[in-house]
Amino acid sequence: MNELAIKDLLYKLADDQLILGHRNSEWTGFGPILEEDIAFSSMAQDKIGHSLAFYTLLQELGEADPDTVAFTRNANQFHNSQLVELPNGEYDFSLIRHFLYDNAEIIRFEMLSQSSYEPIAKVATKLKGEVKYHVLHANTWIKNLGSSTEEAILRLQSSLNEAIPYALGMFEPSQYEQELIEAGVYAGEEAVKAEWLKRIQAVIEKTDLKLPDLATVEPKLGGRYGEHTEHLQPLLDEMAEVFKIDPTAEW
Amino acid sequence: MSLTSLDPRVTRLNLPEEAQPIEPKPELDQFETYEAFHQKKEGAAHTYVGPVHAPNEDVAFLFAKEQYSRRFACVGLWIARTEHIQVTPYAGDGENVYEMMHVEEPAERSEEAEAYEIFHLKKRGKAHTHAGRVMATSYQGALQEARTQFGEKGPIVNVWVVKSKHVLQSAEEDKDMWTTIPEKKYREAIDYKVMDKITKYKEEHKTTAQ
Amino acid sequence: MYGGGNVFEATKFDDLQTEDPAKLAEFEARIARGEKIEPNDWMPQLYRKQLIRMIEQHAHSEIIGALPEGTWITRAPGFRRKMAQMAKVQDEVGHAQLLYSAAETLGKTREQMLTDLINGKSKYSNVFNYPAFTWADSNIISWLIDAGAIVNQMANAKGSYGPYSRALERICAEEAFHLKYGHDAVVHMATGTPKQREMIQAALNRWWPPIMTFFGPSDKMSTHTETLMRWKVKMASNDECRQQFLDMYVPKIWELGLTVPDPNLKKNMETGQWEYTEPDWDEFKRVINGDGPCNAERLAVRRTAEERGAWVRRALLNPKAKYVKPLA
Repeated sequence: MNELAIKDLLYKLADDQLILGHRNSEWTGFGPILEEDIAFSSMAQDKIGHSLAFYTLLQELGEADPDTVAFTRNANQFHNSQLVELPNGEYDFSLIRHFLYDNAEIIRFEMLSQSSYEPIAKVATKLKGEVKYHVLHANTWIKNLGSSTEEAILRLQSSLNEAIPYALGMFEPSQYEQELIEAGVYAGEEAVKAEWLKRIQAVIEKTDLKLPDLATVEPKLGGRYGEHTEHLQPLLDEMAEVFKIDPTAEW
Repeated sequence: MSLTSLDPRVTRLNLPEEAQPIEPKPELDQFETYEAFHQKKEGAAHTYVGPVHAPNEDVAFLFAKEQYSRRFACVGLWIARTEHIQVTPYAGDGENVYEMMHVEEPAERSEEAEAYEIFHLKKRGKAHTHAGRVMATSYQGALQEARTQFGEKGPIVNVWVVKSKHVLQSAEEDKDMWTTIPEKKYREAIDYKVMDKITKYKEEHKTTAQ
Repeated sequence: MYGGGNVFEATKFDDLQTEDPAKLAEFEARIARGEKIEPNDWMPQLYRKQLIRMIEQHAHSEIIGALPEGTWITRAPGFRRKMAQMAKVQDEVGHAQLLYSAAETLGKTREQMLTDLINGKSKYSNVFNYPAFTWADSNIISWLIDAGAIVNQMANAKGSYGPYSRALERICAEEAFHLKYGHDAVVHMATGTPKQREMIQAALNRWWPPIMTFFGPSDKMSTHTETLMRWKVKMASNDECRQQFLDMYVPKIWELGLTVPDPNLKKNMETGQWEYTEPDWDEFKRVINGDGPCNAERLAVRRTAEERGAWVRRALLNPKAKYVKPLA
């Protein structure tokens, strides 16, 4: 198996989860109700934990240790989709992003738990149960709020419209796409996207929300190749502020 | 002008410089309450852990899972709306509340019986634990039945009775949701071991705790 | 995270003469036997009032206490600290949830408590009105403020009110992680690079005066205090808690070669008591009444969080639902 292809896959998995986990952690203490604050924080921790698991696999493949990889790279070295780096906005945007992201993530985890590349399969199998909760959480909220008040529906719809081009960017194919599919690592981004669409549609149909016509949406691509919005670098600078006081120190 | 904080997250909230009081929160702004019961391990009885505020039982389930299972072993969760739980009076420690209560014979026995869940409190200050399920046609009938089936093994200071159909139970196929992976040790005291560092420092610097 | 710094607003000592003497005797006998009081039991008005006030302030202290450490949640260095800092701040929010619920069983709704917090009508632990300037401040809070809170909470867990005891048992179990995590972080800083050492000493210097006020001024022994102690509402005096804290933690600070910024701090070997410079209670009083470095920010954050979440709560409000206070 081409190691570069595996590394590329691991980086995008890890970077997505690190950045989204970081964003979601910004809500801790500011949530709309105490119980939700707690649930959202748990999911943020899970995501950071998942990224660590994948960075650890990268380290086993000869990359630097997880702390160095996560806390010292610049934005153009990150492979996350642009969706996860966008600022939290109001809770409607954070929820919609969570819904769009985790419904894709669970499919990746399901596929990867069957992967021919055993280290990934092991990690995905172990962590899948957590992502299952994340999806249950996201779908329950969208179903509840998406068919509630006009105010809530309007908010969610406008966040959905705003997020959808970025969400499509999650499925930007890697340069190793064909190789990964042929080697049975996973079924590839097109397959993830097709299944994702079915799943999010099934939830959205139960609400008063409308999925924009995807044919008219221009996906926001580039994230997988290190092209990011203006929001990522400041996020990374903030995340590494203490770490960079002395990267060799033990904190 | 907005407030600048040492917390970059707070700065991004654009807080107003001047404090404004809020209108008193309306009733149910925090939603109604649901009571949560967790199962510590396979086969163990469900035990009361506490309430959550939520708009409905599905959301209550999402909330209770993280509030009550994130830090302790848990393999399953039951949720019941507070309103749906009937509570007996409380007896004193060491007493059996069943013996102090006049439980009426249910007026009618013709209706179709349904299932009720029974929870016992063995000692004040402890938590209610699931005693079992009974079939009855009313709460009174369920209590009567519970007394016959599990009421002898006192002391029992208090009983909760709730219809089984009012209890949301975590699904068998979602078992994997409850697995706590070993990497979560960072939330446990046992994961922090610094004695070596302290000992080494003390040796090198001859510090003492005096 | 909660101490005893609430004495400046003691409620008026209600006249127990108005209570039914037979019921009062039964209630006191139950407590004397070591039994817990449960929500539906008869209880004197003073007991109910004091407990609501105490548990509510404790809950506020948790939710506001999440903010100083939250200051560093996005900047914690390295995976291990990043995840643990998130989990710790999350726990504080979780504790608030548990405590508000316990207070609710006594008849005050969470809505009323949150309104009173934001409008400044009810207080929270004064230490959280001080800022966490650096990552090291956050470490000192995690270790020493939580250590103080544990001293206080372990005592209160033995109190007479069932729901509060149950909540505190859970809270103490979780705080064990906080304490170890905080200590671990402080040890890493103190035994680390010169820069780290300098950071942690500076943070200790900043936080020591607030820490010394954490348990509140010496209790004035009054009939009121005696009654609350007999009813197992107040479980230990502020001075006892402070002495216990100093006994447990000053040696642990000293063994790291750190300096406690109080030249008068020493244990009197004859009395077994710690001697220290009397904290500035005037400042304490001023800060608790609103004039601290972070009071305005803390409340503004809470208010803004509530306002930003209002649409979510409005959307899911079920007009047919009726409020029933939690059972236990």
